[in-house]
Amino acid sequence: MKHCSIEVQSLKKKLGSNQAIDGISAVFAPGVLHGLIGPEGAGKTTLLRLLLGLLRPDEGSVQFISGGQVVDFGTVRPTIAYMPQQQSLYPDLSVSEHLDFFAALYEIPADLYREKRTELLHLTRLQPFQDRPAGQLSGGMYKKLGLMCSLLRSPEILLLDEPTNGVDPISRRELWTLLYRMREQGLLILVATAYMDEAERCGEVYLLNAGRILAQGEPKQLLEAEKVARFDELFLRKESDLGL
Amino acid sequence: MKWQMKWSRIIAVLRKEVFHILRDPFTLALALALPLILVLVFGLAIEFNIRELRMAVHDGDRTYQSRGLTEVLGSSGYFKLTNEVSPVAAMGALEGERAKAALIIEKNFGKQLGSEQVARAQVLLDGSDNSTVGLILGYLNGVQKIAEHKFLPEVASSNLEIRTKYLFNGELNSRWFTVPGLLAIVIAILSILLTSLTIAREWENGSMELLLSTPIRPLEIVIGKLVPYLVLGLGAATFVYLLARLGFGVPFRGSHFVLIPGVLLFITAYLTQGLLISVITRRQQLAMQLSMMTGLLPSILLSGFIFPIENMPPFFQVFTSILPAKWFIQISRGTFLSGSGFAELATPFLALFVLNGVLIMLATKNFKKDLEP
Repeated sequence: MKHCSIEVQSLKKKLGSNQAIDGISAVFAPGVLHGLIGPEGAGKTTLLRLLLGLLRPDEGSVQFISGGQVVDFGTVRPTIAYMPQQQSLYPDLSVSEHLDFFAALYEIPADLYREKRTELLHLTRLQPFQDRPAGQLSGGMYKKLGLMCSLLRSPEILLLDEPTNGVDPISRRELWTLLYRMREQGLLILVATAYMDEAERCGEVYLLNAGRILAQGEPKQLLEAEKVARFDELFLRKESDLGL
Repeated sequence: MKWQMKWSRIIAVLRKEVFHILRDPFTLALALALPLILVLVFGLAIEFNIRELRMAVHDGDRTYQSRGLTEVLGSSGYFKLTNEVSPVAAMGALEGERAKAALIIEKNFGKQLGSEQVARAQVLLDGSDNSTVGLILGYLNGVQKIAEHKFLPEVASSNLEIRTKYLFNGELNSRWFTVPGLLAIVIAILSILLTSLTIAREWENGSMELLLSTPIRPLEIVIGKLVPYLVLGLGAATFVYLLARLGFGVPFRGSHFVLIPGVLLFITAYLTQGLLISVITRRQQLAMQLSMMTGLLPSILLSGFIFPIENMPPFFQVFTSILPAKWFIQISRGTFLSGSGFAELATPFLALFVLNGVLIMLATKNFKKDLEP
C-alpha cells in the first residue's frame, strides 16, 4: 500500500441548499504536500470529508490509485489519518490517555506503540505535558496532540483540516516543520487552510472557492504565471474574474 | 479490511468512558445521589397510605354483626370512626367535609347475614377527592375480605386472624408497593438520561468525526459506551434493592434468579432507548429533553408506578405496553411481593424481550457511519 495517490473526478456535493463542491477534478500525488487554500465556506472541509468517505458524493468519484491500479477504499482507509478542523479531542483526557486510546483503536502493537509514542512526543515537544488534560492545552499544543493521534498509526495519507487555525506563529512554524518531515517519508499530505500565506509552504496549491478550484500549481510558478506577488492578490483577482 | 469486532477496541472505548464518568461530577452525582433522593422522596415523604381517615358511621342495626363490621373498620387504623344518629346525619358529615366517607348499616344487616342472604352495608364517598377515593376503595376491598372471614362460619377462627393480617399488609402497605416500583424509576432515569447524553456528547464535541475516521466500528463504540452505564445501572439497582430490604423492610418472596434477568433486560431496554435518542438528536440538550419526555415521565405516570394501569382508558392500557417500565414493574413487584417465578411473569419477560429487539434494531439502523446530515 505504498505511495497511493488520490484521483478526484468532477466531484459534486450538495449540503442542504448549498452546492458545497461544484465539480472538482484533481490528482493528489504521494510525497507532495498539497495545500487546499480558500476562505471559510470554500468547500475545503467537505472535500476532505468526501475523500475520507465521511460524506458520499452526489456526482463524480474519488479513487485511490497505487501502482496504476485502483485500490479498494476499505484497504486504503486504515492508512489514512485525519485531523478534523473542529476541536475533537476529549477535554478531560490527558495527552497520554489520548495516545493510549487511539493506539488501541488503531491496534498498534505495544512495542511499536512505545517507540512511536516516544518519537512523537519528542517531535512535538509535548513530553513535559503528558499528564495535562487536552482541555488545558494551548491552541498549538492541542493541534499537535491531534496530529500525534493521527500519526500514531504511521499513515500513508494525511488529511489535515486547518491544523494551524488559532495557533501562535511559533507553533505554526513547528507544525509545518513536522509536516515537512512527514512528506520526506513519502506521505501524501493534504492540508486545508484559510491562511493565504501558508500557500507558499506547500508543494502544490489548490485555490478553492465556492466548491471550485480557481487555480492550481506549484506556488512560485503560479505566482509568476499570474504576475502577482502574493496569494491573496491572486485570490482576489480570480474571484473578480469569476464575477465578470 | 476485516470487519470483525475487536475486543481491544471495545475495551479502549470502555476505559475512556469510565474516565469520562469518573471525571464528570454531574454524571457521578446523578448516579449516586439520584437513587437515594428518589427512594427517600417516594419512600418516605410521599405517603400513598391514608391514615385516620374520618368516616361517619350510622349503625342502624346495632347487632353483634354490625358492631363487628365497624370494629373491623376501626381496628384497621386507616379509618377514624364517628357515630352519627341517622343516615341523614352521616350524609351531612360528608357534605360538611367533616368526613371523607360515610358508612350506613341498615336495620336488618345482622338478620340477613344470619339467614345467608346478601347482607348490605352502604359506603358513601366524597367523589370530589379522586385520589383518596381510589385508596379508600382499595382499603374497603381488604376490609370486606376480613369481614367475610369474620362472619363466615366455615372458616376456623384461629386461621382467620393470621390470614387477614397477611392480606391486609400485602394489599395495603403502600411502601411495599412503591419501593419495588422505584427500582424501575431509578434505572429508567439513569439508563436513558446518561446514555442519551453520552453519544450526543461525542457528536457535539466533534470527536465522533474523529472516531468515525478510525477503524472502529459503530457497534464497538456502542458496546464500549453502554457497558459502563450498565454497571452503573446495576449498581444503582442493587442500592435500591438493599434500601428496600433493609431500610423499608420490604419482603422479597420471589427468586433473585428471576429478578436479576428482569433487571438486566430492563436496563438494556432503556440503555438502547437512550442510545436511539442520542443517535437521532446528536445534541445533548435535545437528547436530555427527549429522555425526560419518553423515558422519565411515562415510567412514572403511565407504568403503573403511581396510577394503576387497570384504571386507565382502554387505549392507554394497550398503549402503555410499549413502555419497558410497565413490564419491569410487574416483574419487580411480582418477585418482591407475590414471589412470582418465570411462569407467572412470562408475559412481562416476553414483552421486554420484544421491546429490546425492536429498540436495538432501531438504534443500529439509525446509527450513522458517516457525517451525512
